Amino acid sequence: MIVLGTLLGLAVISLVNNTITFGSYTLRPLDILADLRRQQPDGDTITVAAIPAGADSLETDSAGMHIPKDFATYTGILDYGFNAGDKGAGMQYFMHALKELKTGRRKKVRIAYFGDSMIEGDLITADLRDSLQAYFGGEGVGFVPATSVVSGFRTTISHSFSPNWTDYHFRNNPPAGTELGPSGHAFVPAPESWVRYQPVKHHRLDQFEEISLLYGSGHRNIVVNNKSLELNGKGKINAYSFVTDSSQRSLTLKFNNNNPALFYGVCFESLNGIFLDNYSFRGISGIELGKLSRSMWDQVQSVRPYDLIVLHYGANVLFLPENTRFDWYEKPMVKVVDSLRRYFPHTSILIVGTADKAYKKKGKYVTAPGVKALMKVQHKFAESRSIAYWNLFSAMGGEGAMTRWVDTAMANKDYTHFNFRGASKVGALLYKAIMDEYQQADM
Amino acid sequence: MSFENLKSLLLYNKEELILFNSAFFLYFFATFLFCYQLARKNERARVWVFTLFSLYFFYKACNEYVLLVILSAIVDFYISNRIHTEQKDIIRKRLLWFSVVINVGMLCYFKYTNFFIQIVNDVTAGNISPVNLILPIGISFYTFENLSYTVDVYRKEIKPVDKFMDYLFFLSFFPKLMMGPIVRAADFIPQIRQAYVLNMEDVGKGMFLIISGLFKKVVLSDFINQNFVQYIFDDPGRYSGLECLFGVYAYALVIYCDFSGYSDMAIGIARWVGFKLPPNFNKPYQSSSITEFWRRWHISLSSWLKDYIYIPLGGNRKGTFRQYVNLFLTMLIGGFWHGASWNFIFWGGVHGGALGIDKIWIQWQKTRTWMRSTPLRARLWKAGGVLFTFHLVCFCWIFFRMEHFSGAWALLHQVVFEFQGHLLPQLLNAYPQVFTLMATGYFLHFLPEVAEKKLEGRLQVMPVWASVAVMILFIWFLNEVKTLEPMIPIYLQF
Repeated sequence: MIVLGTLLGLAVISLVNNTITFGSYTLRPLDILADLRRQQPDGDTITVAAIPAGADSLETDSAGMHIPKDFATYTGILDYGFNAGDKGAGMQYFMHALKELKTGRRKKVRIAYFGDSMIEGDLITADLRDSLQAYFGGEGVGFVPATSVVSGFRTTISHSFSPNWTDYHFRNNPPAGTELGPSGHAFVPAPESWVRYQPVKHHRLDQFEEISLLYGSGHRNIVVNNKSLELNGKGKINAYSFVTDSSQRSLTLKFNNNNPALFYGVCFESLNGIFLDNYSFRGISGIELGKLSRSMWDQVQSVRPYDLIVLHYGANVLFLPENTRFDWYEKPMVKVVDSLRRYFPHTSILIVGTADKAYKKKGKYVTAPGVKALMKVQHKFAESRSIAYWNLFSAMGGEGAMTRWVDTAMANKDYTHFNFRGASKVGALLYKAIMDEYQQADM
Repeated sequence: MSFENLKSLLLYNKEELILFNSAFFLYFFATFLFCYQLARKNERARVWVFTLFSLYFFYKACNEYVLLVILSAIVDFYISNRIHTEQKDIIRKRLLWFSVVINVGMLCYFKYTNFFIQIVNDVTAGNISPVNLILPIGISFYTFENLSYTVDVYRKEIKPVDKFMDYLFFLSFFPKLMMGPIVRAADFIPQIRQAYVLNMEDVGKGMFLIISGLFKKVVLSDFINQNFVQYIFDDPGRYSGLECLFGVYAYALVIYCDFSGYSDMAIGIARWVGFKLPPNFNKPYQSSSITEFWRRWHISLSSWLKDYIYIPLGGNRKGTFRQYVNLFLTMLIGGFWHGASWNFIFWGGVHGGALGIDKIWIQWQKTRTWMRSTPLRARLWKAGGVLFTFHLVCFCWIFFRMEHFSGAWALLHQVVFEFQGHLLPQLLNAYPQVFTLMATGYFLHFLPEVAEKKLEGRLQVMPVWASVAVMILFIWFLNEVKTLEPMIPIYLQF
């Protein structure tokens, strides 16, 4: 009786419209008969720019102008540098630098890869760096901050540090005058603070060659592997570089004096080749880069000249999966892109679009509606600012890709982050996209 | 509505598991109860109706593997009867071994083939490709039930059933199909003969079990798992030790609520159809020693392991040392039963070792009465014991949950070296619903039994319309929880 009564009661509730609102809280509809009804295919609410038939790949006309037809499905890099008078801001400066490196007319090419937790622990960037170095030469992991919340998670360098560092960053309130570095952090050592880096057993990461210490203004003494060193910073960010002898298997820095001068991190490179700095900061959307001062950016470019800046954000913009309005993100992010273009006039800029992100809807994991909306926003500012754009969403398989990646153990159960395997695959996809551009570039 | 949708719903679909908390089960159960009511007067008709519904349930859960249940019922029914009538010991023994080999062999084939292939490959650097097998649902449970039945007949503890349908009914009884409990034929078969009459107590108790089971499974377990636990266990290196530790505490609640919630539903449903199954969980985290924990956790399994592995191995009759070895071996096998991986073996091994140490500890304490000489001391020891046991069990859960050892070590590394306790306010802020539910879950778990009995009593005296209303409101509430938008993991700044 109870079961029959319950069933009948539920059926009645399901048949009438049962959305009830208590104050501001709306109950979700209950429909136990849903399975029996014919499924209405959900209409795709986001219309993609009209696509002429057969134009799903890049076409090159006689003037060498790339005309992308459909950013939403293209899996390569869309170079909007060709739209503007200034061709280089797309991929061209970078491609030119790569050609020079390959032909021996240049010693170093450098990439600054900015991102959120998606690239934390050198995910994605480790594989991209490795592939690029295998082809163009170069050894070393690039920039490593003084301390990191994911040092144990990072497999490309062994990194340990004393617990007494103070870490000022985007998310706490650094005292006035604290200049955050490009990683979004600035570290202040306490007396007796130390940090130790050791190479790992991996091709191209198994020894240190050229080491650069990045530090802020002011005077301090530090001990580098038991040798005392005096650093006097004149600019906001300064580099002290030296070449280690190969017998040194680790780098230990000790900060003995009481002078709280800022320290940013250490870069590991070889004398020639291509290098990639991973600047990850968990939980940010990218607009935080606007907090860095103009003079900081200028000096970054003089201490560590970059040929390509990658901006890889989106996961934290999509914190509400059904939200499709991103005004709060678009305007400040465009400002960031504009200022980077001004500060780095001879550097290519690449936007890596949001990855797919799934959320649970009616018991199944599906692509969040926000993904395609965000993708459009990111593409729009890449196009209007004449920089390059790579659609990670379509490169990883488009609609529903994240669910497939989770099912094949390439992404985490949060349906947002890649695991090591997935990140490796993304790194390979991006490498391929870059190399396709490189092969096509005629210089 | 369309006929084709209905047809596809009724057929096996590997995408859609049939669970007690699915809408499909509600229809299934209502139809079943209707038919069962019609057949209530006649014992044979009841057995047939129930068995056919159970077999359909099996089919819906695992397609053609339903034949395995029927086949194993035939084999064990026949062997047990032969054992019973046979006079010669040697033949009785051979028949028993035949049954053991068939059942264990079947279990091993479906559950462990790939695991053994992996070992062979690792040892010989060979390259045998794994076989493509689907684990038939419930096989771990019904092979154990078969074994206990045949052994009991062999030990002359019970008489075998004389009607095959009765045995098939026992083996396929759908409430216990997927997650147990492991029922003994001796407890179950006599109940088939009893007339199907329900009193208010049965209805109330059944309803209490079903509601609390659903609450544990859908609200506590599924929600906390989906919105917190799986994030932590997926990638512990990204979270601080504090988050990892709470992830483990949350998982302890999740696995308990999942498993015991499902058992409760099974027992409650059985109660509504006139069968009393013994309780399977008894507030395990209240245990003050690991020995006590195993008397309260998955009772049907631990008593099975005791009766059919630990005692045949010699139990405590062959000296203290052998007793420890037996305990350890029993738990090792128990661990392996949970799944084909080294993690489960390790999990069982640690529990086995802990049980042995606990035995020594109990012996050592016996001569030292001062330890518990005052009520305060006794209470302190008990509280300490509960805390210690809980953490030991939690430690073991890490290995139970993680697919690989590396993940378990990564999590432990975070707890030990990256604890970052100052993040607590941030953490509680980030997952308010999860932590509210967790607190509720543990609070209910440590609630004295009296409170539960009170609620049970209320449900027993309720009129039918009120019961219907309670069920409707409760299912509505479940729907609310189930369709909540999943929360996104938050990476705290350490």
